[in-house]
Amino acid sequence: MTHVSSPVLRRLQDEPQAVPDAARRHLAACARCQASNSKIAQNAALAARLLAPPAAAPDDTSLAWARLQASHRASHRASQPAGRAARRATIRVPRPRPRIAGMSLGTGTIAVAGVLVAGTGAAVALTTVYAPTHVAPVRISQDDFRAIATIASIGGTRVTDGLPPAGHQQLPFGELSWSAAGKASPVSSVAQARALTGLPLAAPSTRPAGVGAPRAVVVQPKVTVTIRFSATAGSAVAGSTLVITGGPGALVQYGGTAAGRAQVTTMVIAEMQRPVATSTGSATAAQLEAFLLAQGHLPASLAQEIRLLGTAALPVPVPAGIAEQHVSVGGSAAVLLADPSGAAAGVIWEGGDGVVHGVGGLLNREDVLNVARQLG
Amino acid sequence: MEASFMTRARAAPKAENEFSAFERFFREHYPAVVRIAFGVVGEAQAAQDVAQDVFISALRRFPDPGQSEHAAAWVRAAAAHAGLNAIRGERRRDRRQQLSGVEVAPAGPEEAALDRESAAEVRRALARLPRRSAAVLVLRHSGLSYAEVAEAMNIKVGHVGTMLRRAESALRKELSDDSRQ
Repeated sequence: MTHVSSPVLRRLQDEPQAVPDAARRHLAACARCQASNSKIAQNAALAARLLAPPAAAPDDTSLAWARLQASHRASHRASQPAGRAARRATIRVPRPRPRIAGMSLGTGTIAVAGVLVAGTGAAVALTTVYAPTHVAPVRISQDDFRAIATIASIGGTRVTDGLPPAGHQQLPFGELSWSAAGKASPVSSVAQARALTGLPLAAPSTRPAGVGAPRAVVVQPKVTVTIRFSATAGSAVAGSTLVITGGPGALVQYGGTAAGRAQVTTMVIAEMQRPVATSTGSATAAQLEAFLLAQGHLPASLAQEIRLLGTAALPVPVPAGIAEQHVSVGGSAAVLLADPSGAAAGVIWEGGDGVVHGVGGLLNREDVLNVARQLG
Repeated sequence: MEASFMTRARAAPKAENEFSAFERFFREHYPAVVRIAFGVVGEAQAAQDVAQDVFISALRRFPDPGQSEHAAAWVRAAAAHAGLNAIRGERRRDRRQQLSGVEVAPAGPEEAALDRESAAEVRRALARLPRRSAAVLVLRHSGLSYAEVAEAMNIKVGHVGTMLRRAESALRKELSDDSRQ
């Protein structure tokens, strides 16, 4: 056989199955081809090392989609006739600079994420986006709990019991509506949940002592909540719309290993696409934020604490009497919560892929962290 | 209720009626496009900007991308080319800065050695390669298979190995030339 051509040698580095056996046999016996192959391999390895994107390459599809929509609308408006264009002359699509002024109530369903808004000056018809990048603890008192319970009730239906697939509620300042592809529902396997949600749903390779196999898997489809501000909301925000999407999410419940405890949940692993909010209309981000905070649904101290978290934080409520600790999981900031008695613990973090992860159960801190770090 | 959700989930086209055809296309291909762009520009925000530009162009070109066999290949190739445009723009700016004396003095030999394979150096070397060579290099090293690279570049699969080998050899040469300067 003639010598192996350099393109074939190059492909051998990446797709050896695509190279004929005869070429490989020749290479094994030919010093000249081996020398060429070595040089090609070195160049390929250098390029791979220098050009391969890092594992944490930016991949926030929902946020990017929101940006694209805003850009498209802006360019569409810019192409309108001069009269209309003049009225919308200051349209600018801001960089997503999240600012939170609300909170999420995570119970498997997506709850009200409050309001967020990116500071943008006086631009009109902007799309603003809330897309938290990390979790942060917020202390919750008994009074705060009561306030949250009030917010979590919509028209007599408690959000924490699971939203019906669609509905709407008249608010004093507009209309709240929500829709989902269905209620939270059990599925037969983790693989099925993975297929339905697109979430990674990794399983720990080593489970803590006493934790058995998965016993139940529940999937929550993506939920979209929309608030349309009516004229009663005042001139600043009237006509604006805030859209919050959350999920899909999935919860895997693990049973016990002791006799008779296979159906007792000892550990849960949850994943959910982080909530993302966009707003459209004439109100600025700052106006929306100020309006919603002024409604008084949240105690002032809690609203202030959430505001002080700064941008891009997903609040993790920490009830009174529960110990909290800042930890790291897979390089991401995480909040570890533990019952002082050591009977139960949980950890929540947001991965670089925009998925919020949680691990908890009748476990101690070390076991919870060990499981989380296998996943993160 | 479970049956209701599962039935909806399986009837994918109906259940997804809230998604436009383009949004489905976007969600499927955005991660690959941003990864390709990241491989070229080496910076997260810049890669996302490139990806935005690519999909805005794609929206005009393929309003219903499901009807086009080439839309997926097109956005990948466009990501590589748009990224290369971006770094070539930076290179021109760098040149202008050097000419205007704004550029800081070059680092000493030790620092230069430590920085030899820095991201900036790689971008400069990439920007000096022939455009198609650089595009093939970036597409392949973003994780595309030979067949996908061939489709994106509109070349035969057998040509990918040829172009890739030449491009990698040229990249090494550019890097070594750069470090000698």
